[in-house]
Amino acid sequence: MKRGDILLIGLIVIVALAFLIPRWFEPSEKNHNEPRVANITVDGKLFKTVELTKEEQTIDVKTEFGYNILKVHDYGIEMIDADCPDKVCLTFGFVERNGGTIVCLPHRLMVEIEGAPGEGDGIDVIVK
Amino acid sequence: MSSLNEQSSLALKRTVIVAIFAAVSVVLSLVEMYIPVNMSVPGAKLGLANIMVLTCLYFLRARDAFMMVILKTLLTAFIFGTFSSFLFSIMGALFSFAAMWFLLAVGRNKLSVIGISIIGGIAHNFGQLTAAALYFQSMNIFYYLPMLMIMGVLTGIAVGIAVRYLIPALSKLSLFDGFLAESS
Repeated sequence: MKRGDILLIGLIVIVALAFLIPRWFEPSEKNHNEPRVANITVDGKLFKTVELTKEEQTIDVKTEFGYNILKVHDYGIEMIDADCPDKVCLTFGFVERNGGTIVCLPHRLMVEIEGAPGEGDGIDVIVK
Repeated sequence: MSSLNEQSSLALKRTVIVAIFAAVSVVLSLVEMYIPVNMSVPGAKLGLANIMVLTCLYFLRARDAFMMVILKTLLTAFIFGTFSSFLFSIMGALFSFAAMWFLLAVGRNKLSVIGISIIGGIAHNFGQLTAAALYFQSMNIFYYLPMLMIMGVLTGIAVGIAVRYLIPALSKLSLFDGFLAESS
């Protein structure tokens, strides 16, 4: 390994951490006070908007592309089941931060979390 | 006459190497699918196919490596995926190829194959995220780029080490005669 490699790795890790560290230190109490919603879109069209509550609720998304089950609890949302072949969408885990997404590519499904205006966490711009 | 024979022999060797490398890339992608890597970052992969892409860039011309990348992606899409997965694969593969080719052309003295492999892995992730952003019309997809960058460093080191062992081994085969002189 050359010196250039070490510099390269250091640069990449620093850049990545510069994006990640603000997320880790985000105050969680502030998030629970602001109402946040998850926008569920299928093939680019809005399927449903659901508020992220502490109470548990299940959302079935049945479309021509396939079937997904989402669960909302503890002010977040996660994909708990899907009949897509690769099931990559199940690996997104529990998403509760603004800008977080859950994507099911075979079903063209996308879940995005939005917060109150002005609460910046990453890129919140939605181009439609 | 002998010069013409040498040129046609070299062209034939290039074609054979491109075909073999594309086939091995597909097999590596297949092997990768069956490795139960339960990464916490969605969409993160080992990127084993990059081993062959980087080796191909090292031995052959960029044009041949480009053809190999197209072949590999087409074959993988036909065997495993749908059109949308092909779109993602080709974007990742082209971003990765362009980044590695540029670094091999410019920074060969400062970077070893490990550094080039790291950039290739990150460029692949960036290309796929770009395809996802275009596909879903949302920039929120790039939320996962920092984590994928860190994963790219780890997988890039692994791929780079594999390439570092592969290049001297392949150099001993007669099929690869006449190519080292071109690259170095």
